[in-house]
Amino acid sequence: MDPKLIRNFSIIAHIDHGKSTLADRMLEMTGAVDKRDMRAQILDDMDLERERGITIKARAVTIWHTFKGQKYQLNLIDTPGHVDFNYEVEKSLQACEGALLLVDASQGVEAQTVANAYLAIESDLEILPVLNKIDLAHARPEEVAEEIENSLGIDATNALAVSAKTGQGVTAVLDALIEKVPHPEGRVDEPLRALIFDAIYDEFRGIIVYIRVVNGTIEEKRNYHMLGTDKVYEASEIGRFTPKMSRTKVLGAGEVGYFISNIKALGDVRVGDTISLHKGPKVEMLPGYRPPSHMVYADFYPTNTGDFEQLREALETLKLSDSSLDFAPVTSEALGFGFRCGFLGLLHMEIIQQRLEREHDQDLIQTAPTVNYKIQLFNGEIEEIQSPGQLPDPDKYERIMEPISRVTIMVPSEYIGAVMQITVDHRGDYVRQEYLSATRVQLVYDIPMAELIFDYYDKLKSATRGYGTMNYELRAYEAGDLVKLRILVNGKEVDALSSVVHRDHAERRGRSAITKLRKEIPRHMFEIPIQAAIGGKIIARETIKALRKDVTAKCYGGDVTRKRKLLEKQKEGKRRMRSVGNVDIPQKAFLAVLGSSEDDK
Amino acid sequence: MDAVQSAPPGTALYVHLPFCAAKCTYCDFFSLPAAGQDLDGVLEALLAEARMRAPQQPRTVFLGGGTPSLYPAPAIARWLDALDDLIGWRESATEVTAECNPESLDAHKAEALLEAGIQRLSIGFQTLDPKRLELFGRVHTPAMSFAAFQNARSAGCERLSVDLIYAAPDQSDEDWRRELETVLLLAPDHLSAYNLTIEPGTAFARWHARGDVQSLEEEVELAQFHSARDLCRQAGLHAYEISNYARPGQECRHNIGYWQNAQYVGIGPSAVSKVGNRRFGNPRSIEPWKRPVLRGESAAEWGEELDGPARLGETWWLGLRLGVGLSAVEARERARWSPLDGEPDRAEATAEELLGQGLLERDGERFRLSERGLPLADGVGRRFLAP
Repeated sequence: MDPKLIRNFSIIAHIDHGKSTLADRMLEMTGAVDKRDMRAQILDDMDLERERGITIKARAVTIWHTFKGQKYQLNLIDTPGHVDFNYEVEKSLQACEGALLLVDASQGVEAQTVANAYLAIESDLEILPVLNKIDLAHARPEEVAEEIENSLGIDATNALAVSAKTGQGVTAVLDALIEKVPHPEGRVDEPLRALIFDAIYDEFRGIIVYIRVVNGTIEEKRNYHMLGTDKVYEASEIGRFTPKMSRTKVLGAGEVGYFISNIKALGDVRVGDTISLHKGPKVEMLPGYRPPSHMVYADFYPTNTGDFEQLREALETLKLSDSSLDFAPVTSEALGFGFRCGFLGLLHMEIIQQRLEREHDQDLIQTAPTVNYKIQLFNGEIEEIQSPGQLPDPDKYERIMEPISRVTIMVPSEYIGAVMQITVDHRGDYVRQEYLSATRVQLVYDIPMAELIFDYYDKLKSATRGYGTMNYELRAYEAGDLVKLRILVNGKEVDALSSVVHRDHAERRGRSAITKLRKEIPRHMFEIPIQAAIGGKIIARETIKALRKDVTAKCYGGDVTRKRKLLEKQKEGKRRMRSVGNVDIPQKAFLAVLGSSEDDK
Repeated sequence: MDAVQSAPPGTALYVHLPFCAAKCTYCDFFSLPAAGQDLDGVLEALLAEARMRAPQQPRTVFLGGGTPSLYPAPAIARWLDALDDLIGWRESATEVTAECNPESLDAHKAEALLEAGIQRLSIGFQTLDPKRLELFGRVHTPAMSFAAFQNARSAGCERLSVDLIYAAPDQSDEDWRRELETVLLLAPDHLSAYNLTIEPGTAFARWHARGDVQSLEEEVELAQFHSARDLCRQAGLHAYEISNYARPGQECRHNIGYWQNAQYVGIGPSAVSKVGNRRFGNPRSIEPWKRPVLRGESAAEWGEELDGPARLGETWWLGLRLGVGLSAVEARERARWSPLDGEPDRAEATAEELLGQGLLERDGERFRLSERGLPLADGVGRRFLAP
């Protein structure tokens, strides 16, 4: 395949702005998928993706489009739209020369779109603005084009107007991709260099490696060297996604597809690595990716202490297809052995947790997410902690520094006041404000990351009736007046329930946490005091009253089996909780330190 | 499904007579309104089943249901004669009970039952409140309950029991105490007082799900539970089980067998048997029970045989319902299982632990529920059960 006839592109869009619909339409109109095989959102094949309407894993598909009598190969590399998946976005963009910036013509530019568009600009991609949903009565394409120009500095005067739903304007987009996106620069006769931009594990075929050939040619039956991991594998199958896997035996410079070699060792494939010919000419590695930055940490413990090794295997398998996941063994006094995991954000955390439960059948106890703190000791040394439990006593360190994020919020201007109020509540500092158009404004604040993960996003969503969108990036670590909020259940400190909070918020947060614990922990046959403490000082207390009546009135010969089974079932339900001391604590309770309680509002 | 198993002579016999005048709204036993049903056919099939597997010389016999007193006196008498021909119960049984409802226990019926060899009558009063009787779907008045009681006494019944239900929707503790005091004035020999339980599949469960009836607050139910214990004790009836009270010597021996995890044979639809270590039950339906037994085959549709440790746990759970409780040695004997030499008895360890938590108390070798543990009997029982 002549690289001049290839175009590689991705689509940058906010959730619900129609990316998957546009992709579906392109597949259908280019004949990649029969109309009768068409199911909505064909690219999102992970159950969770369909449910949530977001794209988690980058996917690739090859389509063919004829322009001015010439047939071209277009490779669409799908990218996720959520800020948590910026890392995935970067990987996808690395494999492209162009990007469609898809914006809903009625909603306008959203914060995450801007963030991803900047990633594309940094990667020197050709960006084509596309306004979607122009068939809607309340579409305002001129205004939205202005927003694109004001927020990104991209000329949007010639933005393409489409309706992904009806297919209107989609052919023009395909034409524009060929006309405006540069073709790949590599040549097929050069020494091979291919970029690994994704990988998934298939039980039967081993690891399926997603590649973009940058230079040269890759073909079956030859041995290839993965430069980063220094492993050699023979290519047993080479092909492309159409969107089904279809074998081509060979891929040339500029092409996108897959590589299979029945690889079972999960550590052997690293996304971002470069593939070259084994014993071939020496080549330079392709520029590596920026390592993912973990914003959020949480601990996972198996519900049954014996399942620790199974949890490790499950995490290793997930890490293969999601290299941004990080984990290390950890021990909790209350919960035993588990793993501390680093995530890109809250959504990422939630998805990993759900994938562990659904795809790997793991029963988990998850602690409330926390951020990475830096502790400056008296000798000037800096220690990092990713869990409140690790925080030493106050007399052991000079100060605590917490990550501060720069948060960009886009809202209709009538919500400015509401946003300001919740931001002040979350220890936010005003940075600047810019009008994107007459009705939409961009607000920039510095907010401690801990406040963002506490409940800022939920509060923002409800205060702006869902119109506010935000994006954040780590700006700096700053010293703060932070204290460890300890939680005692039945007189025993439960390390997995403690949190780091600002001194001014400690009492309110402490009360909120124990109020929620009181609701989540079931009554036992004895009274359970729950206390929140700062150091040795109890700042709030609640009591779970003892269960006083739990008795079957009638139990005769005919009932014994049925009543016994009922009691056994109730007991089984308790087994899904973790027993700390002699108190059974359900999974949900471990998240009690997160978010404010109902009575707190 | 299960082969016919024979129980040793002396084993307790339960007979399920499934028909009632009407279905009560709280009841989840297998019972059917009698209208249009083949009452005699069931008696015939019961005899066929008894021929197959009723124990010889049972020590106790219990006619339950349903409403056994609903049958005409001669029919019951003839049936009991035939049963005696088969297993000689008249000679062996020291306790023969029949459950009765007020609408079907007139003077003649009471006399005939005692004449036929029944020694103990248990009358379902349930409540003395006319509105509540209606809510419960009962077809008698409070006056009929008193009359039935009097009929039984006049016929010479010396072992007379009354069934009551408390903690009904909107019932106050004062209300319950008044009702119970009235019943105790009759001087029954035995009393069963049941906290109303909303069982799945009953009319009550539907009303409850719709929000038409509400359960009482835990504290109110608990107060009524304690009222029952206090008033019965004052009247000379001691609490020998969670819901059962008796004058000394008037305890229901048949039922005590259930709580001691002893063997029993149950015949009739839905009846359960425990023979050896195996428990098995008949279908909760007339025809699927009747057809095989008339052919001389077992009607059992389910069965279970627990392993030793599970039997031991079950024995503790059941045994702690009794006022006298049980000892670790008794539990192992009843369960017919002991840990291997050198292995600890985990059930006994659990009992010790509960003792430490104040949920059990000890009397010599025996453990029993403490005052606080009593209303938490299920929570305590769960600790002994699998998993």
